[in-house]
Amino acid sequence: MTNKIEKNYVTVKLSGRIDSENSAETEKKIFAQLADSGSSSVILDAEHLEYISSAGLRVILRVKKIYSDLRIINVRTEVYEILEMTGFTEMMRVEKAYRVVVSVEGCEVIGEGFNGKVYRIDRDNVVKTYKNADAIAEIQHEREVARLALILGVPTAISYDVVRVGDSYGSVFELLNARSFSNILAKEPERMDFCVAEYVKMLKKIHSITVPEGKLPSIKEKTLKALERMKDRLPDGLGDKLLRMANAVPESNHMVHGDFHTKNIVIADNEVLLIDMDTLSVGHPIFEFLRMYNSYIGYAEYDPEIVLKFQGYDINVAGEFWHKTLEAYFDTKDENKIREIEEKIRCLSYAYLIDWRTRHPGNNSEVENATISLWQNRLTELLRRVDSLEFDINCGEKSDSDELDIEASVNNLQKVIGFINSRLEKVDCSAKKLMQIDLAVEEIFVNIANYAYAPDVGKVSVSVKLSGEPSAAEITFADRGVPYNPLEKEDPDITLSADERQIGGVGIFMTKKIMDEIFYEHRDGQNILILRKRL
Amino acid sequence: MLNISKKIENTKAVLTLEGRLDTVTAPEMEKVIREALPGLTELILDFKKLEYISSAGLRVLLLAQKAMNRQGKMKLCRVNETIKEIFEVTGFSDILTIE
Repeated sequence: MTNKIEKNYVTVKLSGRIDSENSAETEKKIFAQLADSGSSSVILDAEHLEYISSAGLRVILRVKKIYSDLRIINVRTEVYEILEMTGFTEMMRVEKAYRVVVSVEGCEVIGEGFNGKVYRIDRDNVVKTYKNADAIAEIQHEREVARLALILGVPTAISYDVVRVGDSYGSVFELLNARSFSNILAKEPERMDFCVAEYVKMLKKIHSITVPEGKLPSIKEKTLKALERMKDRLPDGLGDKLLRMANAVPESNHMVHGDFHTKNIVIADNEVLLIDMDTLSVGHPIFEFLRMYNSYIGYAEYDPEIVLKFQGYDINVAGEFWHKTLEAYFDTKDENKIREIEEKIRCLSYAYLIDWRTRHPGNNSEVENATISLWQNRLTELLRRVDSLEFDINCGEKSDSDELDIEASVNNLQKVIGFINSRLEKVDCSAKKLMQIDLAVEEIFVNIANYAYAPDVGKVSVSVKLSGEPSAAEITFADRGVPYNPLEKEDPDITLSADERQIGGVGIFMTKKIMDEIFYEHRDGQNILILRKRL
Repeated sequence: MLNISKKIENTKAVLTLEGRLDTVTAPEMEKVIREALPGLTELILDFKKLEYISSAGLRVLLLAQKAMNRQGKMKLCRVNETIKEIFEVTGFSDILTIE
């Protein structure tokens, strides 16, 4: 073990094995070194660390408790797995040792985004490189959101390794025979309808996913910031009008991709995948469409060649693809309706483009100024007649129905509770009874989400019936999962001490206690469970 | 959702909870407790602003109580009546120390 001080970090090198045999001694040495250095930020360099047992992990926890700014770097795969399994990778910054990839020179470029390129390094693997030299934080962010997306049901690829590429880093993905929709549209334009159908299917899928609060940034907030920056470029207070209209777009906790164009949809091994997840956000679909319009039309309104350069197909293909996408997403062939929606989208699209071009000037100011003024003129003209950005999105959920058909997933818990509460608000229900009902609903719904269809997912229908005299609520759950009667579950012995009591098993018991009646039956292939509570 | 603020002084920790402790938020609470546990001899949970607790939350409390029985003590304070009743129904009022 040796140490050196780098900037204000003190680095302690760990080596060999840390287990119960030597953990006390190791701990003493680490703390002695840290005390000597006087620094409050610590890097543990694990390059030569071969193994760490739970006794060793406790040493790290004790260091972390005093030196909260702690990083572990150069971690070998075997040790990383231990740290990941024990949750350490979530508690502190843990960086793997990076293997060096020879070079991407000469490799086929299969994708290109604003932040870097995607190269195919062999038949089954691609590496995404980043322009930024210190891209580790970016890579980690993208990996985290991709993991979240996958858990929430989005088919995507997650990088399995990080490698050094020249002076920067790259993340490696396994994508068997991957081919982007851009490539298909460029080479086989006759497959347009297939691409539209799969593209819209994916789009609707992500827009129907509810994201737990705080997990992803709000795309509305980001857009509002852009509008703030550019609003003074518009005449007659139209900038403020646009800002007001954008502010009025309802908040939403549904997922949006943020850069949903045909380069980011790939077919790999016959499966359609969504990639490039770093812009994943939550918000109303209009903010998704604003970027989509730009990818196909907006950027290229002054110079049509831009689409060809970026997507590989020409502006006519791009325009047709965009139009068909709107028709399929909004399920209408009504040209007037499509135009009305498109105009709302374009209001935001132009504003976004003006802000983007202003902040990222290129090297041809004449063309850029002409482009910006074209966007400004079109936006000004639109804003004189568009008075609202709101439009109907039919995502299959009736807003005022007494029945909710929903994917049985824990991520939808808030939605179910919100649905129940909104129905109970209509009647006189005390806060206490409301909480008891919420509790019972949570237990039953989570049970269905975890077990009914595992490891697959399926739907559950939740309905609420309110009756008067005496006033009561009846909530029915119906699913088509494996037959299971939760009422048969044995009650826990609640007289035991804390040490004797088993963890878990209290949910159904509690539900039985706080509801007035519970019925279960298996009928027509469905589990039907009914909760009744007097209000 | 759930906000957890923690104050750690030597071997004593006070966690103040605000919001809902349910299936979605319980893992976060478990993580905070597990992080605080090593070397801890006193754990105080302030429930004044906790509005809701489901069985997932009870599970975390039982885990914490089991751990603290081995290494010190755990106390809950300012628990509202509705949550107290949940503790009664589930037998948790006998195994937790509620002030």
